Formats: sequence, C-alpha cells, structure tokens
Amino acid sequence: MSAHVGLPRSLAGRLGARRWVVVGIAITFLICAWSLGLTPAGLVPPDARHWERTGNFFAAALSPAMDYQDPDTPDDANPIWLKGLLGLFHTLRYAFGAMSIAIPLALVMGFLGASAWWPERRGPLLGVLLRGVFITCRFVMSLARSIHELIWALLLLSAFGMSPLAGMMALALPFSGTLGKVFSELIDEEAREAAQALQAVGHGPIQTFLVGIFPGALPNLITYSFYRFECALRSSAVLGFVGIETIGLYIQLSHEEFFYHEVWTYLYFLLALIVIVDLWSAGIRRHLNPATEWRTVR
Amino acid sequence: MPEPSFDCIGVTCRFGSLVAVDQVSLTIETGEQLALIGPSGSGKTTLLRVLNTMRAPDEGTLSVFGAPIEGNDSRELRRLRSRIATIPQHLGLVPNLSVIQNVILGRGGRRGTARSLRDILFPSRSDTLAIHEILERVGIEEKLYQRTAQLSGGQQQRVAIARALFQEPEVLLADEPVSAVDPARARDTVKLLVELAKERAFTLCLSLHHLELALEFLPRLVGMRHGAVVLDGSPDSLDEGELADLYRLDQAEMMADA
Repeated sequence: MSAHVGLPRSLAGRLGARRWVVVGIAITFLICAWSLGLTPAGLVPPDARHWERTGNFFAAALSPAMDYQDPDTPDDANPIWLKGLLGLFHTLRYAFGAMSIAIPLALVMGFLGASAWWPERRGPLLGVLLRGVFITCRFVMSLARSIHELIWALLLLSAFGMSPLAGMMALALPFSGTLGKVFSELIDEEAREAAQALQAVGHGPIQTFLVGIFPGALPNLITYSFYRFECALRSSAVLGFVGIETIGLYIQLSHEEFFYHEVWTYLYFLLALIVIVDLWSAGIRRHLNPATEWRTVR
Repeated sequence: MPEPSFDCIGVTCRFGSLVAVDQVSLTIETGEQLALIGPSGSGKTTLLRVLNTMRAPDEGTLSVFGAPIEGNDSRELRRLRSRIATIPQHLGLVPNLSVIQNVILGRGGRRGTARSLRDILFPSRSDTLAIHEILERVGIEEKLYQRTAQLSGGQQQRVAIARALFQEPEVLLADEPVSAVDPARARDTVKLLVELAKERAFTLCLSLHHLELALEFLPRLVGMRHGAVVLDGSPDSLDEGELADLYRLDQAEMMADA
C-alpha cells in the first residue's frame, strides 16, 4: 500500500482495513440497488401527468390553504385553522397518553434489563435468577419494539375495534420497548465510581442504584424521553393513515382529494408543534446539563 | 485499651497471577494517624479496599474493631462499612446531585434505602444545619446547593471530605486524597485531614505518594513495595536510605520504562 509507506506496520494495516470496510459498504449498496432495479431515471416522474402533480404539490407549499378547498364544505364547519389546531390537540393527546404509559413501563423494564443494581457478591442461585430476569426483560422489550407502531395499530384495531385506547396502546407498546432498551443501556453505561464509593460506606445494592447511579443517568433518560416524545408526535400523526383521528387523518383525506394546499396547512401545523416541543426539550436539556451551562458561562 | 481499628495477619490478595498484597501483617490502633507510602502499584489501594472490607483477602485474616470479619454476611459487612468512611481516589461523588445531597449520602449506610431517598429529595432541617457546619469547617459553605459537577477539583475534594465527616466515622480511609491537586492545596488537604482526625478522634489512614507530606504531618509511616510492608515507623525513626530504597526503581522496571 503505497499511501502508507513510512507508517508503522500496525497503523498501515489498520488504515488498510478501514479502507476495505468503506469499499465493502459501497459494494453492498450497489448490489442492493441492482437487485431492486434502481436507476437514476427512477427519480424523475414518468410522464407529464405525474410531473404536473409533483409540481402542484410542491408549489402548494408556498401557499397553504387559509380556507377549505372543497366547495362542498358545509357552512357551519370549523374554520381550517381551528380544525388544524384540533387535529394537533388530538395528535398531542395520543402522543402524551402513549408516553405516559410507555415511560413507567420502560423505567421498570429498563431497571430489570440493566445489571448496574446487581449485588457484587451473589450466590449461584441469585445469579441465575437475576440473569433470567435480565434475559426475559430484554426479550420482551425486543419483541415490543420489533413490531412497528403501524402494525401494532392494525393488530389492536382489528382486535378492539376503532377505540382510542387501541390507538394509544399501539404507540405505547413499541415505544416502551425502545425506551426500555435505551434506558437499560444508559443505566449500565453510567460511571460506577459514585456507586463504588457509596457501597464502600455501607449502601446496599438497590440503594446504591437509586441514589448513586440513577441520578447520574437521569438527565440522559429525560433527554431521550423528550426525543421519543417528538417521535411519538410524528407516529401519532401517522396513525391517522389507519383511520385514528389525529392530524394525519386530515392530511390523508385532503391528499386523497388532491387538496394540496390543505395538506400543507396541516403539515405546517404539525411542523410548528414539533418545533415547539423541540425548543421546550432543548430548554430542559440546558437546565439538566450543568456542564454545558458552565461552558457557556465561561 | 480499646480494640485496634484494624488487625491484619498475613493478608494476601491476588489478581490472577499478580500478588497485589503480599503477607501483610499490620495493626492500626484506634485514634492512630498513619500514611501508607510507596510507589504506584505497591498495593496501597488494594490494602485500603481490604481494610474497608470491599475486598476479601485471599489468605490471612482481618479483624475490624476487634472482631474478625470472616463469615460476616453482606448485611453485617454493610453495617461495618457504615462505621468506616472511605474517600476513594476518584472521590466518587454523584455528578448530578448537589453538594448537600452528596454529603447527606454519607449516612446512607446507616439509614437505609427509603430514608436515603427522602434525604436527597427533602433533606431535614437538622441535617441541613449539620452539613452547613461541616462545609464551613472545610471552607465551602457557600456551595451547599451547587451541583458537584460545577465545582473545581479542589472543591469536589472538600465535598468528599464533608461526606466522610457527616458519616461520623470511627475510621477515615483516604486513597491518594491529594493526587489531583496542586502542591499548595495538597498540603492544606493533608493538614486538614490530620486536624479533623484529632478534633473528632477518628482513626486516619491515608495512602500518599507525596513523601514530604507524609513525613511532615503523619506520626506513623507504613511503606509498601511489591505488595509487602517493608518499613513501619515514625518519621524520626526512618532513615533516608530506607525511604529512598522504597522508591528505587528495580532493574527490571527501568528496563521496562526504557
């Protein structure tokens, strides 16, 4: 490898290996693209009708609807801005409700799926028991999150009919799986120095976890929960596409009728909500992370 | 005569084939102040972990406060540890908790889980006053409600000392308490620890690699090398040759460094 002349052998070997990883990724992509029959021409709409529709859709982004495009809209219908706001309220309700169920579930599963609280000296029986709980918990969390919320929604709606609880659970189940997995990893990655110091002065294993490890992990858990709340908002909107009344349902209905200006009105409402939640969570992150605050002050 | 704080007889600890503590016999009397000295890797930290019962010796026996610890279950060990304050080298403060919350955890070993949770969420008035007094003694009373992650290294060290004091221990073990601070502050810290030990009549055992500080402040020096105790006495009774020998690099170590 001429590029690595003069480098120590081990380093040159490492750089060489890294280069092969990049080449490997590129080749895998090309194989996937070829097997899917992808061509650059696929990015271009096939005929004039599609061109026009795409053009209309994006042009409508510049002039979102201030009123309904449907001439048959009854006179006593809510104004579109109020409908948008109500759509957001419904979306928020599902997302908030689902997260209120998912976070406590994830805290329990995240705790049971972590090993940070295990006593250092444990007999063989306790060891087997703890490992059993750990593996079961990780399995349940994997199962919950390996099924997408849309599939959960289809399953639960067919089981319970079009009920709000089914919609909420469709979000809560996969979200508790993802949150629980990340919670357990954040807890296990937390530095153990404080825990060791507390054990050295007589704290028990659970006590050490609650006062020595959990407070350290808490800001990360909160930050991640906020991120997942944003995801829940988007997913809650998507549930509209299977008929649950969120802003997604309005987007879908307007889209089916080619009322693109209305679609954009609802999309901008959703965007505004996501931005507000993001600003809120950024504010809380700043409050929780004294290190950043300290750096800013300096 | 009270029972000695610690009595080790032939204590040996191994990590795989490495012998970290080698046949150490050492008695530390109640109220005594001593420094464990010696080069890095000489076994000081492991010996401190044996003394606070966090590491069971592979061979030999250890008695703490006059009673052998062999056969103690984890509850009894925890009760024993709640009487021994330990300041680890990395201090072991909980970064997102405030100073008062960290200090209050010093008594957690005695108070149990539910009380500890209540303590960090709603510290009592009497605890707050006691902690304020301790913080005044160590010179950081204005930091009571600050998060420990926002403090300087020297201030964090004071928090760790305050936590140990709030524990009201019978013994204070400190592992390299001055390894991360500048020489002037290191001197102040060792001086403070020795003064506190006299004031509050607890046994003090520090591991130090600052030989001058040990000679200046501690009445008893225990020198370790390759896991074994190679010298033990008051600063006056140790001659310079012995002390120099303690830190002499072995032929093999010099070869390894080169």
